[in-house]
Amino acid sequence: MSAALRSFETQWRARTPDALQPIREQAMQRFLKLGLPSLRDETWRYTDLRSLAASSYGEAGCAVKAPDAGAETGAGAGAGAIRGHAALSLVDPGQHAATITMRNGCPLLGADLPVINDIEINSIKELYKQDPSYLRRFFESASDADQRRWVLLNTALFIDGLYLKITGTVATPLVVRHLSQGGGAQAAHPRIIIDASPGASATIIEHHVSEGDSAPLSNSNTHIALGKGAQLEHYRVYATGAGATHLDSLDIHQSQDSQCRQFTIALGGGLVRSSLEARLNQPGASLESYSLLVGHEERHVDCVNIVTHAAPNTRSRQTARAIASDVSRVIFNSKVIVNAGANGSDSKQSCRGLLLSPSAEIDTRPQLEIHADEVKCAHGATTGRLDPDMLFYLLSRGLDRETAQSLLVFAFLADVLTGMSVSSARAAIENALISQLPDSQILRNFR
Amino acid sequence: MLEERTILLEISDLTARVAGKEILNGVNLTVNAGEVHAIMGPNGSGKSTLAQVLAGREDYEVTRGSVTFEGHDLLAMRAEERARAGLFLGFQYPVEIPGVNNVYLLKAALNAKRKAAGEPEVDAYDFLALIRQKMKFMQMSETFLTRGVNEGFSGGEKKRNEVLQMLVLEPKLAILDETDSGLDIDALKVVSKGVNSLRDPKRAVVLVTHYQRLLDYVIPDQVHVLSGGRIVKSGDKSLAQELERRGYDWVMGAEVA
Repeated sequence: MSAALRSFETQWRARTPDALQPIREQAMQRFLKLGLPSLRDETWRYTDLRSLAASSYGEAGCAVKAPDAGAETGAGAGAGAIRGHAALSLVDPGQHAATITMRNGCPLLGADLPVINDIEINSIKELYKQDPSYLRRFFESASDADQRRWVLLNTALFIDGLYLKITGTVATPLVVRHLSQGGGAQAAHPRIIIDASPGASATIIEHHVSEGDSAPLSNSNTHIALGKGAQLEHYRVYATGAGATHLDSLDIHQSQDSQCRQFTIALGGGLVRSSLEARLNQPGASLESYSLLVGHEERHVDCVNIVTHAAPNTRSRQTARAIASDVSRVIFNSKVIVNAGANGSDSKQSCRGLLLSPSAEIDTRPQLEIHADEVKCAHGATTGRLDPDMLFYLLSRGLDRETAQSLLVFAFLADVLTGMSVSSARAAIENALISQLPDSQILRNFR
Repeated sequence: MLEERTILLEISDLTARVAGKEILNGVNLTVNAGEVHAIMGPNGSGKSTLAQVLAGREDYEVTRGSVTFEGHDLLAMRAEERARAGLFLGFQYPVEIPGVNNVYLLKAALNAKRKAAGEPEVDAYDFLALIRQKMKFMQMSETFLTRGVNEGFSGGEKKRNEVLQMLVLEPKLAILDETDSGLDIDALKVVSKGVNSLRDPKRAVVLVTHYQRLLDYVIPDQVHVLSGGRIVKSGDKSLAQELERRGYDWVMGAEVA
């Protein structure tokens, strides 16, 4: 048994059982039996967790310091207000928006909790205590799938989580700020459930930041359930420090005619593993997934998307843009599964990688698994350097080489950026992105 | 009547290859300010290679000869320096660059040229007014302003865009590589009008074309036939008409003889 596994087991034995105990018990036993994923596991073949496995982890507690509540930006916007590494101003100071902070996975639900019409904000633990049957459907039975290994541990060990119930049309974006505080010998397991009622709509932005040079291992999970006709625009923005390890998983379950637009933006962290598993369970469900994966310095970003068309006439679009400079590595694996009987499924996968340094590496692998006859599935993957024809065209118009190259880099990312409907989030992400690209001063002129 | 002509472009014994294959085999050509030259020739004769070499494409290796532009060694200049010095290449197949806005590129190009000439950047308001005026002249749709460079353009729109860029940049020497190919008669007239509007005693135009059709609208001072990487015949506009009548085999046969 690895040191990490042993330390998680120690934590498990030390904790006081709560209302979720039966679910947790099942997940933990499964996790201990299967162990940590390794390079031999299909979805982990590009990410070596051996050094992680050799470390021991204690619980990253909730009460690190006094709550640092308030708007995402407000006075002293940006890094100062959040005290996080490279925190982004995803919503404008003047913009009507609300922020909830989760510190090391614990939702800070104090008196200053924002009040938003048509969103109920609850602690998972409290709600579960009141009515165990209500939340049980969001905790599926334990799975052996290797991409779900860390979710098992999250289920067993999360201290508390956030349950967001969207009941109507919410115009205000809701920001959930995940703040990682503490040392690298600790682990946190943030958990969020987003439950949209039939016909409801909202925009939710998860923003992961860390404080200081080292941060606890973060093993987060978000579960999204969309009722009939519900619409959600969801962002997860990784902006933790270079020393942070982040394992994040997202589950999306969609009912009839529901629409989900999902943005995964990797702009921070040392090791980032990001997975998305979506199930289009009823006809008319539509998912658009956008991934912007930025490899910078020594960062390692491993992104896994698995989209299952489980009903006829469902639609999915996956657009991934990976860019790698320095000695970074970016992996994007996406898989579309069309179940038997899911005729009329329509899926497209577009993965493009851009290498900006000879020592950087990008791996993209789109896959299809089709068990139905009448489907429309397209996929394409390319990785390379800047297009020489485009470069020559710009040079032949008198642009200097640095400007031409930067312009093409920015253009490469446009397919993801232009899809964002929260303009302040887009602007903040562009800003952060630019600072991690070569010739960033030139790039600022293009905005 | 003798007239003092300024030599704008002088190509001497130019030899170039790509991927180890010789494409140009000793091209000689002198273009004076105020002139329009047409370079004609069958497919594969080296017309596009000549245009790309002059514009500074690095894939082509110049193995012999020299090119001067206003007396300066053109081959020693990088592509962007040539552009700023007043050389313009209208591409045969303009590339689509999604995500880079047409207007942005035009402005960046114009400012790069102005900066090199020691002039201040163009005023944003004046620039837009200039673009709108030139677009109207080229009969281009307003949607052009918001689109990516050549993104989703038809063949004809791409060629109009090349000429629009030329009109905005006002080059001393414009090399138009098959700008007439794939155009219907109306588009050909518009493109010709654009090229003619640039004719000026201080400028020159080199039209690279396969067909004589364009030369009905843009009357050349000289016509050259490129074959096997060399200029094998030169003459006035009547040469183009004769080529149209007799075909390229006529010149190529003449070369052998």
